[in-house]
Amino acid sequence: MTTTDAPATPPDVRHRGATTGARRTLGRVLVTLARSIAIFVPVFLVATFVTFALRSLSGLSPARIQLGEEATPEAVARVEAQWGLDRPFLVQYVDWLGGVLHGQLGTSWTNGADISTLIGLGLGVSLSVATFALLIGVVAGFTLGTVAALRRSTWVDRAITGFVTVISVMPAFVVGIVLVAVFAVGLHVFPSAGYVPAAQGFGPWLAHITLPAVALSFDVVADVARQLRSSLVAAYRENYVTGAVVRGLSPRRIFFGHVLRNGLGPALATLGLKFPTLVGASVVTEWIFGLQGFGRFANDSAQAGDVPAVQGVLVVSIVLVVAFNLIVNLVLARVTPASQRGV
Amino acid sequence: MATLSEKVLTEAEKDSRTEAEETGNTEHVHPADASAPVLSVRDVRISDQAAGHEIVHGVSFTLTPGKAVGIVGESGSGKTLTCRAALGILPAHFEVTGGSIELDGNDISALTPARWTALRGATISAVFQDPASYLNPSIRVGAQIAEVVRVKKGLKRREAHRRAIELLRAVHLRDPELVYGQYTYELSGGMLQRVLIAAAIAADPRILIADEATTALDVTVQAEILDLLADLRERTGLALVLVSHDLAVVAQLCDEVLVMRQGEVVEQGPTREVLHHPRHEYTRLLIAEHEQYGLDKFLAVEAAKAAAAVEEDA
Repeated sequence: MTTTDAPATPPDVRHRGATTGARRTLGRVLVTLARSIAIFVPVFLVATFVTFALRSLSGLSPARIQLGEEATPEAVARVEAQWGLDRPFLVQYVDWLGGVLHGQLGTSWTNGADISTLIGLGLGVSLSVATFALLIGVVAGFTLGTVAALRRSTWVDRAITGFVTVISVMPAFVVGIVLVAVFAVGLHVFPSAGYVPAAQGFGPWLAHITLPAVALSFDVVADVARQLRSSLVAAYRENYVTGAVVRGLSPRRIFFGHVLRNGLGPALATLGLKFPTLVGASVVTEWIFGLQGFGRFANDSAQAGDVPAVQGVLVVSIVLVVAFNLIVNLVLARVTPASQRGV
Repeated sequence: MATLSEKVLTEAEKDSRTEAEETGNTEHVHPADASAPVLSVRDVRISDQAAGHEIVHGVSFTLTPGKAVGIVGESGSGKTLTCRAALGILPAHFEVTGGSIELDGNDISALTPARWTALRGATISAVFQDPASYLNPSIRVGAQIAEVVRVKKGLKRREAHRRAIELLRAVHLRDPELVYGQYTYELSGGMLQRVLIAAAIAADPRILIADEATTALDVTVQAEILDLLADLRERTGLALVLVSHDLAVVAQLCDEVLVMRQGEVVEQGPTREVLHHPRHEYTRLLIAEHEQYGLDKFLAVEAAKAAAAVEEDA
């Protein structure tokens, strides 16, 4: 396609470059969005279907919770009819799914409370902790990873790599207990347990979520730092870095404009994978820090055999995880065009 | 003395009215004497510090504006290392252990990293083999040229955009507006080499090193790129260092040739002299192989056969 005998550029093509650029960026975002939604919808349907099938599979019944083990079959049937459980499975599913789509997750078997409300209460706590943990993970992980990559194969790099390896193998509950022992019991810097909503004061809110967030963040810090370090080191070996050096760009510009941009992908993808782990690990940390969060609610509901509550928890988890991955995918598509080419 | 890209652009872009004002900046105060060397390499020795032995055993040449020096040799002969030393981008463990390199009057051994950054692009620049890998795959190629113009020439975003498009046109790319918005994977090898050249000359360097820049290209595209380089050299006084393992490429463009083998310069002199009266064994070998395997030989044989057939008929 190289030509020296190219025909003169027609005047109407002159402005194409600028507009195509903008249009292509928009197009890229839309394609990524469409593709993500195309994945989201079937995942959501299958996941909710499996979730809903849990009740039939588990054989749990609200009648057992309300009436105890010695209830007569007639009484059980009466209670199940009240809950609409005598209807065909698919009818129940469609009915339930309709509710879910409107934000109605049903009623708890144990106390008859609205599950959406219950989850909403716990979610505030958990999202505060998880978001803060994610923030710590991103900031600390990026800093450590970047410094290690820039000082690669020096003692700084080795110290960071060692530190990161150590914290990556420490489970959140161990870290949590140690943090409580040191910072709450020993130094009295942070409260050891409990939660204060942000509405009642930013300071107390932050103080209460700091220790659990730090405990949760270790894993994220370690993974982001290691991933970022290796991809930055790899990016620095690429020829385009030499190309940028030869064109006379400064080291700072090369790092932020070229190396970081291309090295960011794997670390971001790691972040997308870490989010479900954070939600899962919150069950344990919420126990240690005495938080009435989403994880605790999930655990309590499961132990009580409160199937609608567990289903609600799963639906919310699915939405959270998929939504977070959607965001990560959009950022990835923005950062590197390669990610939307191959997949 | 007008800047490089100004000359290129005014030539290529006669319809652009604001051109002269745009590029008529006086950032580059070149020495008044046009024949003063822009690059002098004196008995340069390069060693691998990790292995502890010398790889390049003394290379010397001087380059004045508008001249072209060719370095020929097999892979591993030290030609690329010599160029990298002049660019200050020797790989880890490699160091200049003897001799000196002067870039536009600056001895490179005394250069701070900041001075290096200032000199690269604006005084010396380079293009390489495999142009796709020397451009960032996730940034539009035009934006990478505009970045150089913005950083090195201090142009505003919009002006840099226009300048980048003019540079793309100056390297004879059809539809520069379209190419501006494309990524490396959307362009062919020849187009990428043109883009790389446009990026390399964006900050008006006085020296351009072309390290095997045409090696991976097919013959017709190679000829076009060589024409482009010759064109730039003629119109703007750009000094060229052409590195190749192909004697034909060097012969086409250079005034002076260095033949390197195993880190030694085995032959050096005016191109015509070296090609017609090779003194060293290795140079003779290179020329002989060209004669033996070149198309000329094949065509000559064909012609001789045809002539013989005609004679027989007669």
